[in-house]
Amino acid sequence: MGKVLEKTKIRLAGIKMTIIQTLKKYKYPYLFILPFFLLFSVFQLFPMLWTVVISFSKWKGIGKPKSVGLDNYKLLFKDYMFWDAISNTLIYWVTGVIFILLLSIIIAAFLNYNRLKGRSFFKTVTFLPNVCAAIAMGIIFSMLFDENVGLVNEFLGLFGIESIGWLTSTKMSKIPVIILNIWRNTPWFTVIVLSGLLNIPREYYEAATVDGANVFQQFFRITLPSLYNILFFCFITLTVDSWKIFNEPFILKGPGTSNVSLFQYMYDTGFNLFKMGYASAIGCMLTFILLIVSLIQFRIMRKQDNI
Amino acid sequence: MKKRIFAVLMLVTLLTGVFVGCGDKSSEKDSTANKPTTGEEQKDTKKVFPAGKLVIYGYGQPQYLQQYFDAWLEKNRDIAPEVSIEIVQTEGASDSREKITMTYASGANEDLPDALYIDPVNLLDLGQGELLIDVADFVTPLKDKLVDGATNDATVGDKIYALPESVRPQVLFYNEKLFKEYDIDPSRMSTIEGYIEVGRELKEKSNGKVYLSYIDPGSKTWRYYGRRGLLPQANAKIWGEDGEVVIDTDSGAKLAFDALDIMYSEGLLLKTAIFEPALYDAVKDGQIATFYIGAFWDEFLRKNVTETAGDWKVLSAPAFENVGVAGAPVSSYFAIVNKPGGKYAELCQKLWYDFHFDAQAREDWVNAMEEQNAPYANPITKELLADDFWKEPSKFYGGQSFREIEGSALENGATNLVVTPQDVEADNIISIELEKYVAGDQTMDEAIKNMGKNLRNKIGKAELIK
Repeated sequence: MGKVLEKTKIRLAGIKMTIIQTLKKYKYPYLFILPFFLLFSVFQLFPMLWTVVISFSKWKGIGKPKSVGLDNYKLLFKDYMFWDAISNTLIYWVTGVIFILLLSIIIAAFLNYNRLKGRSFFKTVTFLPNVCAAIAMGIIFSMLFDENVGLVNEFLGLFGIESIGWLTSTKMSKIPVIILNIWRNTPWFTVIVLSGLLNIPREYYEAATVDGANVFQQFFRITLPSLYNILFFCFITLTVDSWKIFNEPFILKGPGTSNVSLFQYMYDTGFNLFKMGYASAIGCMLTFILLIVSLIQFRIMRKQDNI
Repeated sequence: MKKRIFAVLMLVTLLTGVFVGCGDKSSEKDSTANKPTTGEEQKDTKKVFPAGKLVIYGYGQPQYLQQYFDAWLEKNRDIAPEVSIEIVQTEGASDSREKITMTYASGANEDLPDALYIDPVNLLDLGQGELLIDVADFVTPLKDKLVDGATNDATVGDKIYALPESVRPQVLFYNEKLFKEYDIDPSRMSTIEGYIEVGRELKEKSNGKVYLSYIDPGSKTWRYYGRRGLLPQANAKIWGEDGEVVIDTDSGAKLAFDALDIMYSEGLLLKTAIFEPALYDAVKDGQIATFYIGAFWDEFLRKNVTETAGDWKVLSAPAFENVGVAGAPVSSYFAIVNKPGGKYAELCQKLWYDFHFDAQAREDWVNAMEEQNAPYANPITKELLADDFWKEPSKFYGGQSFREIEGSALENGATNLVVTPQDVEADNIISIELEKYVAGDQTMDEAIKNMGKNLRNKIGKAELIK
């Protein structure tokens, strides 16, 4: 027993020496990154941990939190509004990924086309939606999609289509949100995809042309595979952004929980209903979902790399 | 050596900055310094208040109140020589509450406002959380001079958490021009049953062009038709004697929701969001004949449909035949924040007192509001209300006195629904079911059933504050 204790003491002393030596050797680099870690700890790490702590309590934001164990998490599984918010967010994710990526590739391909005249102008115009304030655009979209006087219904009326209750119908209320989300975010990803396209060597296309490949074959055999890493990055970013969607459904509110996103539900629960504990539980669940989705994505990528 | 000293200095500066930035969360509320004087004492007080800014949170159109406060400050420079008043506009009572709660939780007490305008539902939690000053000593001697029930919603036990600001009844605005055009007698709308009949007749005679009123596809239907209108006047209940959910079994609730169901299912209500341009356009086009809503709607009509000035008249809200009471009055309050180190609690009291008891200043301000088509409410003091100024005719209402109607409509008001700390969430749950009903996803019976089910699942029992 005494020998074991002696060995442990020696080992601990060794570890301590190693730490001291490392700190001495790299003291300046550590000092330089210390501000970030201090701010990160105070403004992000501590609030994250505090969120997890209060997710096990009942708290209105005033007074002390009251511990309720797993009650908030149990309520999540019974709460139909939570499941509505998840299914809405899932729809925003899927439509966002499909349409934003697709449109980004198409628009970036056009912008990269060497015979396109006025390329700078088109690049500027393409990026404009991303620059406009989200809330302002949301308000304009709510007017456009108004059931009684909106331009969209006026336009549809020209073709004999009856007015659609875009924001007053539980079935249709997600559509304006999806359109606004795609319209606002496509430019950003277009720029990223365009940067990827610009990095593809021209020689590949020249060689393919010589071999008789047409435009579509070049696109599917050269462009897309070369853009794989960029597209994967866009996919990850879009996934995180889609699960955090807030502005669009907040402004274009539909009846009931027909188009409420998970993030919005968390905000409403915390800051309109003042159920901070329950809102924290929703936040933890959102983090958990994003973690699972990201792990699956990275696993798929690793498998692809191995192939 | 120099490098070492520099590195240590940098580290110390950084750490100091972090600790200072985190702030001193002094949760000790210095309530004795803020203790309000009584309503009688403050008249004799000539205390001079220190220089600074008195901040008030307000929603709606608080910029018009700023005009009163600025004039008031000029008249009271002897006690507030270097004080300024700023009204910060918030989205609503719950937004004000959120801001105060978050500011308080962060420890930045100097950023708390000195006072705020608030509704009974949000007032309750702030008061019980000791974020508001108990003004019972100040306002109790004045109760007899105020309209009946003015302080009820702010009273919890022997504490009064806010000063009453306004008590406004539910009324019925109707477009007299349309009623004359279709030869309909507006006095038939003294009952809900008569109101619905009038709606049917308007629809028939106008070939569907004219609607009895509107219905909001969002949360405002519950707020204006339900909580403040049909439910209180049907003697409906959301919660039972012990706080249990009864909305789905209560006969009054069924009566109220059925009335709304009849109006909407028969196409008597235009589906359009309130406060939005589409509604005002419909009013200007002569598509909406009436508004069964709170007296506050006066300011929105005067501001947004000035072209229809002279077409509108006002009646007391219709009552159910078997019940006999009109909608419940809506009270709003002026609460003084229990701000650590706050300097202006007494000044807020004086400000409130003069606003409600200084007849001339109030009349001057109201005249200015009329010229600007700006909002104002009737006073809550009996003495002021008795004055002929509050019976003056209004050009917008074709010579009728809106002020007089607002005063008389309080007489037959229903008792408000019981206010509980769970009401914020309950309103959300009930409203969601009504929104789905308006969207056509469920019948009214299904909506009522789901209200009960979801209230039990998510809230269970309400806490009835005695």
